[in-house]
Amino acid sequence: MAEVQVRASISTRSIPERVFFTLRRYWFVYLLMLPGLAWIAVFQYAPMYGLLVAFKDFNIVKGIMRSPWVGLENFQILFQTPPFYAALRNTLIINLYNLAFGFTFTVFLALMLNEVRVSWYKRTVQTMVYFPHFVSWVVMGVLVSRMLYPEPDGPFNVLVGLFGVQPRHWLTDPQYFRGIVVMVNTIKEAGFATIIYLAALSSVNPDLVESAHCDGAHRGHLMLHIYLPRIAPTIAVLFILQLSGLFGSNFELMYNLYNPAVYDVGDVLSTYLYRTGLLNSKFEQATALGLVFNVLGLILLLSANRGIRRMNVMGIFE
Amino acid sequence: MTRGMLRGRLGFNVFDVFAFAFVGLFAVVAVYPMWYVLVVSLMPYAEFIRTDFILLPSLNPDLTFYHGIIIGAPQLFLRAMSVSIVKTAVGAGGGVVVTGMLAYAVTKRHVPGTRLINVLIVLTLFLSGGLIPLYLLVVKLGLLGSALSLVLVTGFINTSYFIIMRNFFSYTVPKDLEDACVIDGANEATTFFRIILPISKPMVTAILLFLAVYHWNDWVSWLYFVRDATFAPFAVLLRRVLERPTVFFDSAAGQRFIEDEGWIPPRQLVMATVVLAMLPIMMLYPFLQQHFAKGILIGAVKE
Repeated sequence: MAEVQVRASISTRSIPERVFFTLRRYWFVYLLMLPGLAWIAVFQYAPMYGLLVAFKDFNIVKGIMRSPWVGLENFQILFQTPPFYAALRNTLIINLYNLAFGFTFTVFLALMLNEVRVSWYKRTVQTMVYFPHFVSWVVMGVLVSRMLYPEPDGPFNVLVGLFGVQPRHWLTDPQYFRGIVVMVNTIKEAGFATIIYLAALSSVNPDLVESAHCDGAHRGHLMLHIYLPRIAPTIAVLFILQLSGLFGSNFELMYNLYNPAVYDVGDVLSTYLYRTGLLNSKFEQATALGLVFNVLGLILLLSANRGIRRMNVMGIFE
Repeated sequence: MTRGMLRGRLGFNVFDVFAFAFVGLFAVVAVYPMWYVLVVSLMPYAEFIRTDFILLPSLNPDLTFYHGIIIGAPQLFLRAMSVSIVKTAVGAGGGVVVTGMLAYAVTKRHVPGTRLINVLIVLTLFLSGGLIPLYLLVVKLGLLGSALSLVLVTGFINTSYFIIMRNFFSYTVPKDLEDACVIDGANEATTFFRIILPISKPMVTAILLFLAVYHWNDWVSWLYFVRDATFAPFAVLLRRVLERPTVFFDSAAGQRFIEDEGWIPPRQLVMATVVLAMLPIMMLYPFLQQHFAKGILIGAVKE
């Protein structure tokens, strides 16, 4: 009501006066926004202007504006470089492995945790499996290389040695590298990712479980027909979201694990972009690369959002 | 009907045994690497090379490695630690204040411009200039190599946290409460500082911790935009130690230490450094676990 009056009194005045009155009336709200908006303008929106570099023969002394236009030449060069295709292929393969193995594993882990009815045991397990999420990728990289230490006394070699497997240089073997990356990622993140499923699972009505049990359903039935359907919408949303990240790649994970011996199978788009752009200063090609994958990512994400809306589960953007 | 009663009815069968074993085994796999480095960093060298599979801590723990790191190179160790601590404090503290103010202001939908601003902020989830344009901007602003770039360039405002905070302010804080304050004559500033902030404490703590973990673990901003050893956070020191474990003993004090000790096994030295890098996270963990779970659910649930 007070708002309506203020608006009515404002609308009869001239534009500068209206701006002045609005600012004076809501100065505190605008003041609160100021630092955040300044940051977003400078570090989120200003770089979008820098995307022009992708269409220029960029010279850092001349600056973006005065560098000559070259049309799509940078894209042509990019699409003719074999390492680019290797990075693209590796990114897709690793993401698909992650989707097939990591994603499924997380759902399974959540269902299994839900089956553990002894609360102290469940709490302890949760405490343990959440922990790796908080550890940095640098530390994780060191931990993994220690676990896979190539000498016979490396813990993993000792362990698989019990089953008769010969000690190996696991991290420098192109045959195993992608598998290791996906496993490490799953071990680090699966536990923490169960939180959202467990929250949905805890809302299953116990009476439903009880009556199903009376009707003769055993534990496997309960899991498949009561618990799994309860988290199906969440699974669908998270699956689509992860699918939309098909061209994304975890720079830190790769950078801390890979080594020249496995570049062929372990170089992904983000590491390739870092090496071309920042280490070799091929700014135009790296910007072109970034642009291509931003656009692809955006398309995938918008389609994902469409899919989610159609499923009528929840909007992620509201 | 509680879960405990259910357990009684359903009995304890093969299914339970499998679930117990499966989650237990995964839990062991998830924490064993951390346990391993902790145990090894405290183990005398002779015992370390004698043990086939390390499971239990040594009975006579040996602090030589930590001693070596701290005495051997106070300037390396203390500098990296203080850079990390300042980075975390400034980045997380500044980030939560700026994001919180922005998120609260955006919920004032009757104020002209707030709706548009909200859309522009959410759009940054999907649109970005990418690494190279950001790098060129940092160069242009003269921030390349500056300590400010450690906190300011990437991740200062995280759009997801903005959304979590905004949803909290608009769905969880009761509207009636704000109206009551206005009726009682409080202006917007008073309402924000005296009423809204205190009741938002659990959410603000959760976001603060999210950001603190991010800033503590982040070293990519250093790799991209700083690359000056003076401002290297602890993670960068860890990478240097990996390449050359003896980096700690370059100083005069370090030389003396190594002469007294004879030889320091590099593998265990690296592990002690890893433990130090994880230490703050380990110490804060009970706290973190509680608040992170809460924070995730605040963000996921709309009402």
